[in-house]
Amino acid sequence: MILLEPLNVVIQTTLAEKCIKPSSLDVQFVDFDNVRFHLSTPDRKTQLLLSMNIRCWDELAQYGAVDVLRREYDSLYLATPEPDYHVSLAIDLEQIPPEGEARDSFINSIALLKRNALAAPFEQAFKEQKKLEISGSNQGQLMQMHYRDEEAIYVRASADRVTVIFSTVFREETDRIFGKVFLQEFVDARRLPTIQNAPQVLYTNRDPPLELRGVPGLKSSEDIGYVTFVLFPRHFSNPDVASSTISHIQLFRDYLHYHIKCSKAYMHSRMRHRVSEFQKVLNRAKTEVAVTERKTVSGRSMISR
Amino acid sequence: MTTLAPIICDNGTGYSKVGYAGNSDPSFVFPTAIATRGPAAQPSRGGPTVPSKPGHLASKRGVEDLDFFIGDEAIANAKTPGYGVNYPIRHGQIDNWDYMERYWEQTIFKYLRAEPEDHYFLLTEPPLNAPENREQTAEIFFESFNIKGLYIAVQAVLALAASWSSNKVTDRTLTGTVIDSGDGVTHVIPCAEGYVIGSAIKHIPIAGRDITQFVLNLMRERGEMASVPPEDQLKIAGKVKEMHSYVCQDIVKEYRKYDAEPDKYFVKYDGENTVTGKSYSVDVGYERFLAPEIFFNPEIYSSDFLTPIPEIVDGVIQQSPIDVRRGLYKNIVLSGGSTMFQHFGQRLKRDLKQLVDRRLDASVVASGSLQRSSGVEVDVISHKRQRYAVWFGGSLMASLPEFYSFCHTKAQYDEIGPSICRRYQIFGSAT
Repeated sequence: MILLEPLNVVIQTTLAEKCIKPSSLDVQFVDFDNVRFHLSTPDRKTQLLLSMNIRCWDELAQYGAVDVLRREYDSLYLATPEPDYHVSLAIDLEQIPPEGEARDSFINSIALLKRNALAAPFEQAFKEQKKLEISGSNQGQLMQMHYRDEEAIYVRASADRVTVIFSTVFREETDRIFGKVFLQEFVDARRLPTIQNAPQVLYTNRDPPLELRGVPGLKSSEDIGYVTFVLFPRHFSNPDVASSTISHIQLFRDYLHYHIKCSKAYMHSRMRHRVSEFQKVLNRAKTEVAVTERKTVSGRSMISR
Repeated sequence: MTTLAPIICDNGTGYSKVGYAGNSDPSFVFPTAIATRGPAAQPSRGGPTVPSKPGHLASKRGVEDLDFFIGDEAIANAKTPGYGVNYPIRHGQIDNWDYMERYWEQTIFKYLRAEPEDHYFLLTEPPLNAPENREQTAEIFFESFNIKGLYIAVQAVLALAASWSSNKVTDRTLTGTVIDSGDGVTHVIPCAEGYVIGSAIKHIPIAGRDITQFVLNLMRERGEMASVPPEDQLKIAGKVKEMHSYVCQDIVKEYRKYDAEPDKYFVKYDGENTVTGKSYSVDVGYERFLAPEIFFNPEIYSSDFLTPIPEIVDGVIQQSPIDVRRGLYKNIVLSGGSTMFQHFGQRLKRDLKQLVDRRLDASVVASGSLQRSSGVEVDVISHKRQRYAVWFGGSLMASLPEFYSFCHTKAQYDEIGPSICRRYQIFGSAT
């Protein structure tokens, strides 16, 4: 598994199961980046309520998340969410599409709830870029999403591009080094002829990139880094490409951390391998114990029991 | 900010149960299997292939270490050319750490979709697990995954905690005997105040797999399996075991009942041939009550293991320190899928009570009828959460507010090192 999938597996499997056999249910689970879900049947077995708590909801709502969710979920979307949560969907198991492809795509669209909520600012930026291109003006507004306690995503549209900036903080020294190598690799890998079309990636440590100069509340310390993706119209002019761009770019931080962890696991397996090799060497170096047959005076051999 | 729910990870020999604390059922239950590139079941000390000569960094993109499947996907890919299925846990203990680390990696990122840095983890270990194994586990979780905090609990203790959900339990004690029967092996584990009495643990080589095999044998002998395609027979036997089996109080009476009114007691099982789509039906008869009977009369199944389960439980308790025996008799807790048979608890209780009473009577006689015992209370507790009792116990424990103070945190680990995980504070104890 190289890429992380955008859909939530818990929602997917639970819904698929409940579609076949409805039963009462009350589960809470999470997704990346402090997103909490609550799936329950408050009234009756066939009436599911899926609620999501997402840290940067206020910001997302400001960038049109409600419209995106209304568009995606239509009547499922509840105007007043469950208390303590930001988004609620009501799913009536008696009115779901019949078994087959239609149902699968229905379930998948619900499993993409977090992705769709986070997609709003990106979609807005893509639209804004079109407008700016026509009007010829310079820059759109800077959209900020503080999706984690210390980290944020910044999206800004310009006349010919959309810039997405992630601020990343590594809590662990080893992670920081791995992360640096990784991000440097991103920059280098783009030079390969096969992936020339990939968005441009820039990485800066400590100092925020030019686009963010003057944004209040930026932390300045050694362990903070900024990753900038420059998306050109070819990455989002086609609606299909645009939606996959959004799905991928959202999961960038989790992707990065996943791979840092995988690299560490790989290093560990190499270390274990090395240790077992060394152990073999050590075992070979053991001195041999000379085995001589011991005899008693009368000539009988001694056997240890 | 509210802290996110801790993750409970119960990795067993056969199946892994993972999910979030506070729920009553695990979010995922899948086989503890990993399908990797390369031959299956290679010797555990093989190590990964050495990467080729270092060239230009950007051109070297080996992803072999990411190319694997876990759980149901691993089983589904068993036949894919180039992949081999491995089982990283053997007899409850982790056998291959490389595979296990990658197994956890995918469990967390693909299935749970959690950022491990934001979560506390509760893992389980079998009784008598070596402290070195705990250290290794802690190393992986703290150094690879940077988790916030870790608690490693003994499975038997969690099973005891899970029994608190039963309404029969009034005093929430961690003293009791746990009968944990999964797919591969059955353990009888005495616990006193949350500590496992290691010297008294007994293993029984009869568990779920054997019962299924026994059902299959019985049905073959009666000729019922003739209409079933050979590749489906084991699966059918498993289904029959799960759906129709129960524990009877008296075999002879039960046989008579079946013979007198076969229509009432024989049930039909309908299946469909997976290849041809032809439907067939088999009669399910005596195996309904004979299947779980191998716990109580092992001689009907095996010739080398002959001690019935009540005797084993009695033996285990008799080997435990004398001051906890009353508590152990009073609180016998069932856990695991193979204890789910109807009336299993009642039968065990009855047989055990007989054993105990007989011994008490004998001692009364031996003392010349001078000293009378006040009797020993024997109780077997079955509850609704038995199947995933260990996981549920973990979920219960981890949703207590004290849980966080019992965990070893990342900071403590960095300060002291892996040896910190040799000892964990027991839930409910004073120190």
